Amino acid sequence: MNNFLIVITLALCLLVFVVLYRVVFGPGVFNRIAAISAIGTKTLVILIIFGYFYNRVEMFIDISLVYALLNFIGCVAAAKYLETEG
Amino acid sequence: MEVTLLVQAADDAYRILENARGQAVELLNTATKLTSDTRWMEEKKIEAVLMGAQKKKSSLQNFVVTFLMLFAFWALLSGKFDSFHLSLGVVCSFVVALLGHDLLFANVRVGDIRVIVQRFLAYLPWHVYQIVVANFHVAYLALSPKMPISPKIMRFKTKLESDISWVTLANSITLTPGTITIDIEEGEFVVHALSEKLADDLNTGEMEDRIAHVFMEADHIYIQDVLDVARIFAEFR
Amino acid sequence: MIIRGEDIIIKTISRVLVPFIQLYALYVIMHGHYSPGGGFQGGVILGASMVLLFITHGYAEVNRKFSENIAVLFSSIGVLIYSGIGFLCLLLLGNYLDYSKLYKILSVDPAHARSLGILGVEIGVGFAVMAVMFSIFFDISTGGVSPDDEEEAE
Repeated sequence: MNNFLIVITLALCLLVFVVLYRVVFGPGVFNRIAAISAIGTKTLVILIIFGYFYNRVEMFIDISLVYALLNFIGCVAAAKYLETEG
Repeated sequence: MEVTLLVQAADDAYRILENARGQAVELLNTATKLTSDTRWMEEKKIEAVLMGAQKKKSSLQNFVVTFLMLFAFWALLSGKFDSFHLSLGVVCSFVVALLGHDLLFANVRVGDIRVIVQRFLAYLPWHVYQIVVANFHVAYLALSPKMPISPKIMRFKTKLESDISWVTLANSITLTPGTITIDIEEGEFVVHALSEKLADDLNTGEMEDRIAHVFMEADHIYIQDVLDVARIFAEFR
Repeated sequence: MIIRGEDIIIKTISRVLVPFIQLYALYVIMHGHYSPGGGFQGGVILGASMVLLFITHGYAEVNRKFSENIAVLFSSIGVLIYSGIGFLCLLLLGNYLDYSKLYKILSVDPAHARSLGILGVEIGVGFAVMAVMFSIFFDISTGGVSPDDEEEAE
């Protein structure tokens, strides 16, 4: 089971690097915002898998909830800033 | 002799026709009256429901429902059921409900919250099935070497009425792979679809009907239409 | 680049989400001694919920609920709770923030008193952080001038 979780975590980390390409080289700022929020969702799943790994799911669920929340608020704030700046 | 017979026959025919016409007019009149009666009754019923909802939607009830939901959320999060933590939960839910009781149910019009929750839970399996189907379709589009996509932006007017049902429909569309809600402008949805099949699925309007059913909107119109047609058919038969 | 409009999706979602975010923030503050989090983190989440309300619903809605004056008041109250508990421990012949001395007035054993003292300090930290974070955001986004003053000046 642990090996399975490690493989899944590694695959998700590789996907994070794929999305990171869009953040660094992405044309335009909207691609970057969307890519950052995609990285946020992947980090959330990785955190919960860590929780299973260390047998403390309830603690990691708290952390991942905060992560998702701040990800959402940051995304909305960036979009709103761009909207008003034109 | 023959002329008299002919005239009489013509007279008879005329009388029969006149009778038939009179009956038809009478029938139509009754049908119209019945229709307007049922419409009036239905309108009365809807008005009563609306008034009841308005009366029920006092801020005290909002406050209580918000408090109960928040306290359930607290119990779910905390997982400690000794008296100290439960009383902390009561105090925290009370403060938050006091601050935000007008946020959670700002624009709920008609309907009972329990019925909405039940119908929403019944709606979810259908939506998950829809997501799986669209997921396979999008995977086929992405993996086939010719890549037979035809992306387009479509607009449609919705018949939903409140903002919470608009948002549910928009999020359902966005959750389904291949279609994304770009914007809602005055009840007009702007949707980006990846292929013809996905756009056609959306255009059948089944999702919209189901969400209208969930939030108990627009379905009184259907009931009334069915009632009207049934009465008229019964009269003519 | 973008036409500014009524973004009804964001508005409704944040309207429904804000009470739950606030309750979650209070949960993080109150359970700081069992699970990760504590006063500072909970205060940040509480401030973030206010920021979300400000971003989506605009100045007027937030000002009705939580105006800048109340923010200043709350930051002072938070510091008062923190330093008050600290000095209370000094008065009870302990060190500054030596919670175990609080058992003399709380009528519980010292270990429990320590837990309660930490909880009180975390509530104070949470209030202060929330109010300061919100008022920083408020000042940056309005340029230090509240829209009411601007209307009067015009």
